[in-house]
Amino acid sequence: MNTENKIVTAGIVDDDEIFTYGFKKLTVIKGLFDQILHFSNGKEAMDYLTDPQNSNHLPDVLFVDINMPVMNGWEFNAAFEEIKSQLGKNIAIYNISSSVDLNDIKRAKSNPLIADYLLKPIDEVYLAEIARGLQNPTDKRRYN
Amino acid sequence: MSFSDGHKFSGESIAHIARIIDHIHLGIWEYNTDTKQVKWSPGFYTALGYAPGEIECSYNYFFEHLLYYHDKDAFLKATYHPRQGGSPVAHIRLLTKQNGYQWFESTTQKHDAADGPVIYGVLTNINALKVSEIKIAENEFKSAEIGRIAKIGSWEIDAATMSLKFSKEMFDIFELDAQVKMSVEEAISFFEPQYRQVLTNAIENGIKYCKPYDVEVLFKTAKNNVIWVRSKGVPVLDNYGRCITLRGIFQDIDSIKKKGITLQSSINLLDDQNKRLQNFAYIVSHNLRSHAGNLKFMVNLFEESPLKDDRTEIFSHIKTISESLSATMGHLDEIVKIQSEISKERKVVDFETIFENVASALRTNIVAADAKITTDFTDCPQIDYIPAYLDSIFQNLLTNALKYKHPNRQPVINCFTQKVGNEIYLVFEDNGIGIDLKRHGEDLFGMYKTFHQNSDSKGIGLFITRNQVEALGGSIQVDSTVNVGTKFTVKLV
Repeated sequence: MNTENKIVTAGIVDDDEIFTYGFKKLTVIKGLFDQILHFSNGKEAMDYLTDPQNSNHLPDVLFVDINMPVMNGWEFNAAFEEIKSQLGKNIAIYNISSSVDLNDIKRAKSNPLIADYLLKPIDEVYLAEIARGLQNPTDKRRYN
Repeated sequence: MSFSDGHKFSGESIAHIARIIDHIHLGIWEYNTDTKQVKWSPGFYTALGYAPGEIECSYNYFFEHLLYYHDKDAFLKATYHPRQGGSPVAHIRLLTKQNGYQWFESTTQKHDAADGPVIYGVLTNINALKVSEIKIAENEFKSAEIGRIAKIGSWEIDAATMSLKFSKEMFDIFELDAQVKMSVEEAISFFEPQYRQVLTNAIENGIKYCKPYDVEVLFKTAKNNVIWVRSKGVPVLDNYGRCITLRGIFQDIDSIKKKGITLQSSINLLDDQNKRLQNFAYIVSHNLRSHAGNLKFMVNLFEESPLKDDRTEIFSHIKTISESLSATMGHLDEIVKIQSEISKERKVVDFETIFENVASALRTNIVAADAKITTDFTDCPQIDYIPAYLDSIFQNLLTNALKYKHPNRQPVINCFTQKVGNEIYLVFEDNGIGIDLKRHGEDLFGMYKTFHQNSDSKGIGLFITRNQVEALGGSIQVDSTVNVGTKFTVKLV
């Protein structure tokens, strides 16, 4: 990894333990992110983001599953929009799901807050691309 | 012929009259009952299509060869037993030369002549009249039959007087014995209250604005039978375009309408089932896809991980996925079973017995939760149901109530039956954590929908329960308040 690159923290918001384990493992093997936070539903993630103690440890990117108990992905998206301006950091949000329902895909993609909708199982190449863009913001700007 | 003195014709006139009579095909005959002598006028022969003298002029010939055998009685009766106060008349059929049997009117009169009692008679061909009369009677019979068979009556309202006229069939549909005279308002009062205004407006619009109408409404007959009827009215206009009469039909469409309503409810049921199946297919594919996705993910990781410890852990996840896949297949089987068990025989089952079985199977859970359970099945102790379904319904509802108990209080579960008319309800109340129906109401009975962070939430129980209840034509309703409790009301039948 290029030492000039910034430290990137990613968060995974998903109740599926196997997927979460795999996601973490994959990012370690591929060296995609420097740090991984895990929340098993939208509420846990929201509690973390709004806790002032964590203001210096906010993630750069969040991968948010749609189907979750307590607070699902849609509810998280809405709640995040409320607090977005009060966060000291620009956090990219990706929705992840195994749902191929066109309504779900449209709903996520039409939300300007959501960077993209990723279908499970996660495409490793695309995930690596996202990680690279976050490590090196100037690169991202060049390609955009 | 006898005329009063003042009106006596001369001999010449009589001969003239006879000629006229002969020319208008009026047959005159006379018969002396003593001498058995018979005389026929030339018109008599002409009326039958013969020339005078062409056939034998005798009582016997008339009776045996000309008169239709069926009409002999009628003829004899009229001839020998004349009615009082007028000439007896009989309608008889006589065989003509060219045109087969034709209808004749026979008028007879007795007269006592010098050589004995004589019967005079006049024969008039009334065939055309008689045939049209028969046709009219036939048509009337047919139209009455059509009305009776189709249960259609006809009516008329005179726009000027607002008087109402009914055909006979109308009274049959109204189930009125006597053909009573009825006003428009009285007729409208036979309709069910919610339709009376509809009819009043339709008739008013018909007469005022010449607007035809055609409605299907509920009607209560004089014998208190409530039936569906179709009432259709069209205005009859005068030359100025004003409605002078509102004319219409009135039909008993009860059986058709009820079939239509049954059909519609079957369509709704099919529609619901279809939606459920579609939802089910979607859920299954989603669920299988997420397992399959994870499996692929883990297999890839397994290949990419060089460390033995990692590989062991990944493999344990692969095992978990394989178990989840089996569980999903098990759920699939359960759902398929709902459809296959529906054809199984219903039996009269005891609510108490089934509940006891389920409660004893869940004894450990009940004890662990320290739940207080009260039941009351006295309002309806038994039901005709598929026993396996009732078993499963009790099991799922009881398991739910135990699973979602409130952490700060002893669970109190209340289960009872209610009979409302022909409908049987099963009610299940708890004082558990409740559920936010605003957020989850739509998904509550969905497959794999879980709303609580509870390790044994699988999201299959209520899905199965609803499918079983609905498969037997029932429905399930839920009321809940977060932190207060949940109440399931199951309409079993």
